Amino acid sequence: MSKKVAFWIFLVGTVSSAILFLGLTWDTHRQIEALSHVDKLSNNVVEGKRTFEKYNCNDCHTILGFGAYYAPDLTKVVQRIGADGIRFRIKDPEKALASSWRKMPNLKVSDAETDNLIAFFTWVGNIENGDWPPQDSKKRLSRSEERMVAGVGVSPGAAVFQSRGCMNCHALHGTGGTFGPALDAIGRKLSLEQIEHYIKNPKAVNPKAMMPPQTALSEKEIEEVAGFLANLK
Amino acid sequence: MEYRSQKIAYWYFAIALLLFTLQVVLGLWLVYNYTFTVPQWIVDNFSFATARAMHTNLLVLWMLLGFMGGTYYIVPEETKSEIYSSKLAWFQLIVLVATGVVALVGFIFGWTQGRPLLEIPTSLDLIVVVGALAFLFNVGMTMYVAKQWTVIQGTLLGGLLFLALLYLFGIPFYKNEVIDWYYWWWVIHLWVEGAWELVTAAIFAFVLMKLTGVDRQVVEKWLYVEIGLFLFTGIVGTGHHYYWIGAPKYWLWFGGIFSALEPLPILLMLIDTMNHVKKRETKIVNPLTWTIAIGCAVMHMIGAGIWGFMHTLPQINYYTHGSQVTVSHGHLAFFGAYALLNIMVFYYAMPKIKGIEIYDASRGKVAFWTMSSAMMLMGLSFGIAGVVQSYIERVLGMGYMAAQSYMRLWMEVTFVIGFFFLAGVVIMVWDLLTLRPAKKAAA
Repeated sequence: MSKKVAFWIFLVGTVSSAILFLGLTWDTHRQIEALSHVDKLSNNVVEGKRTFEKYNCNDCHTILGFGAYYAPDLTKVVQRIGADGIRFRIKDPEKALASSWRKMPNLKVSDAETDNLIAFFTWVGNIENGDWPPQDSKKRLSRSEERMVAGVGVSPGAAVFQSRGCMNCHALHGTGGTFGPALDAIGRKLSLEQIEHYIKNPKAVNPKAMMPPQTALSEKEIEEVAGFLANLK
Repeated sequence: MEYRSQKIAYWYFAIALLLFTLQVVLGLWLVYNYTFTVPQWIVDNFSFATARAMHTNLLVLWMLLGFMGGTYYIVPEETKSEIYSSKLAWFQLIVLVATGVVALVGFIFGWTQGRPLLEIPTSLDLIVVVGALAFLFNVGMTMYVAKQWTVIQGTLLGGLLFLALLYLFGIPFYKNEVIDWYYWWWVIHLWVEGAWELVTAAIFAFVLMKLTGVDRQVVEKWLYVEIGLFLFTGIVGTGHHYYWIGAPKYWLWFGGIFSALEPLPILLMLIDTMNHVKKRETKIVNPLTWTIAIGCAVMHMIGAGIWGFMHTLPQINYYTHGSQVTVSHGHLAFFGAYALLNIMVFYYAMPKIKGIEIYDASRGKVAFWTMSSAMMLMGLSFGIAGVVQSYIERVLGMGYMAAQSYMRLWMEVTFVIGFFFLAGVVIMVWDLLTLRPAKKAAA
């Protein structure tokens, strides 16, 4: 091979790759409109993105898998812990992560900023991104979700537990919040009636309890969720 | 050293070395954060995010200063002339270092653009652009005035221009998070798998040619093939970052195929290096410089080539994306490809600038082997942590902190290894700043 041939390898290789790349970039721009739902990219979402950058959230958390790996990925954070879960963690990280061995700074984020952040995360959570991350994929249920879903068949209480915010504080099989105790084997400690009683008025059982009375749950829901938890042994 | 103006490179190198040390100290603090509970009041005032911004920006700053110093050392010898303006080179060094220091202190007070690796606020970005333009002008004018063109300096200048151009894509605010990441990778990926590889290939070719005495025509021929392959695979290979960001599905194919080819140019560089070493026409004067050159080629292959390949395929990346596996790859690749390249240049050029023909390599040898083996082990322990994390979090679907608990042991291991790495760095910096001639005259 002569130096001239080598030069042509360089030139053709570079130019062909660059042309292909620029072409794909043009097409990607066209398609991102639909894939990211640009029609829902409101001012609040954009302001939320600014807030996200202002507090440098991305140098602990990942989003869409990018950033630092020190804290959970935020792509599906709204689906995971809901708006209230996000508010609680941002406003009172000391309390929210009291029992966690890894802490989050209290950055004194204002309520308006937090609302924008939630709008931003909601928008990000709906980006059509190839069903990533896998643990949030509805197509590939994770093992713990499979267990949970199997539980729903036996007792609708599992559905209450999952959908009514219990998991903002409590975890099952490692999934959920760390503010309250994990409830993996709560049925060994408490009976169905005791759990029911606790849910309605935690302080009556344990004066030091941090858990608020669950007034938002109906009598039937309390019965169902207590039934589900009492079976976790 | 043949030209007086090459001397400026020494200061670029010395500052780069100090920044490198600081980077590693912050790295230890970061892994401490992964291993132990940091009290809330420290977290509130000096968060992981701040320390991480400092760690990564120090990396970029010291490596760019190393490249620039290397360029100022090489260009006079390639063009057979003095640098166009030594004053400008000084001015540019002061501007960039001052900007860097302001940025680092600013991070502590929350002055940030808030985008990983590109945290430097826009107003400082503009000063960086001024510094970069001064540098490119100075190097370009040196070549223009000398009217002496070689493939090595062409590649070097091309790589540096490309590098500066790409930086611009990181400056604006993008409303759409997807488009933001799309162009973020134009800076990060096209830097490390494009522009920086050009600079590296050029510098490497230069040092190899000087060390081995192999004919320039042969070195430059392979340089063409290498950079052609780097750019062919690397440009479309950017697609391996577009799998899960909300870009079209075809990126899984383009990214997957092109990045699977990305190890090829690195492999070629490794084989090429071995060949040149075998066919050398000069005697080995400073064996340590050789050792580092070969270490660089090998670690480049392991960290960037093999580690990168391992989790670039979409089927694997779906589970490993954004985990400690990335951290493992990042550390090994940066160390192998760019840290060792810079260190090789330091050991090649700094003795020459000081007028030492044969330097005492005893401390340097200890430093090189300590750093390289510590980094290899660190890559492995990060990697194990990453595999554990991917399995527990992504496959089993357990919570983030549950996975972190299982990984904790491996982060503790990394913490311990980190001290060895730091020791290696400190020995190297001390050695390079106090180089002495070898006790016995050359055999």
